[in-house]
Amino acid sequence: MSKRQKILAISSPGGHWIQLNKICNEMESRFDVVYATPGTQYGSQHSQRKIHNITDASADSKLKLIPLACQLLWIMLKERPTAIISTGAAPGAIAVLIAKVLPIKTIWVDSIANVAKLSRSGEMVKNHTNLVVTQWEPLSDGKKIRYHGSVL
Amino acid sequence: MIFVAVGTQFSFDRLIQYMDAWAQINDEPVFAQIGEGQYEPKHMKWARFLNGDQYNHNIKEATAFVSHAGMGNIISAREHQTPIIVINRQHELGEHRNNHQADGLVWMGKLPGVYTASTQDQLFDQLSLRENLTCPVESDNQKRQQLVQFLGDYIDGSLA
Repeated sequence: MSKRQKILAISSPGGHWIQLNKICNEMESRFDVVYATPGTQYGSQHSQRKIHNITDASADSKLKLIPLACQLLWIMLKERPTAIISTGAAPGAIAVLIAKVLPIKTIWVDSIANVAKLSRSGEMVKNHTNLVVTQWEPLSDGKKIRYHGSVL
Repeated sequence: MIFVAVGTQFSFDRLIQYMDAWAQINDEPVFAQIGEGQYEPKHMKWARFLNGDQYNHNIKEATAFVSHAGMGNIISAREHQTPIIVINRQHELGEHRNNHQADGLVWMGKLPGVYTASTQDQLFDQLSLRENLTCPVESDNQKRQQLVQFLGDYIDGSLA
């Protein structure tokens, strides 16, 4: 049996992180999944999962994006994932831009909170990521932005 | 117990003040996770942050979960079969960087187990009905299975 492929799952805290977990918990039976998110307060003491702590940056705190980018590059070089998957926002967008120059598939799952149009970070990365998935069927254009179900 | 949580990225003092006022005139205990908020509650127990285990425990034990209109809390409430009352942050009041929570309130209210309020009066009305609020079991998760299957197939290349 060949070695299992690895996924690096990245998001900001809060709702994005919870959606990421809803997707990736079920992925763990098929892939090795490692995570990267700001803060360790979300870690459960009963969990054996590997979570990298990264800087909490957003589009409103641009200076922090620099250390965040360095951390994400380091994590990708160390973990060598087959693919990265993100539900948003700034950490995922930065990760997509970095992974673009590495042999890593990039997947953007736009947050379910974005019901009327793609999220701001989704708009930013949609031309740089290998796959964009919306969780609302009307937002799919059938080509670049695809719909294949949702977390709820 | 009523559990109140406003997320960790932005404060939401308006909701915390509403719930502090509610706690003052009601017997049921209230516990609030207030994040970075300036306002410190006087009539209910509170913490700025809770770890994942404490957070989930509170959602599970609560008769109702009062929250900002965040998807994460809606998903968690559903997992624990706890009815959730969501109130939207308002961009005009500086409570969020855009108004997507106000836009979201309409469709959120159509989800099973989700109740909505935009004002203190509406919130108190929903809370007065809390014994009658219900949340179904998360049995129908076919949409999630579909998404996870698709992403998995895409990653391992089994998708053409």
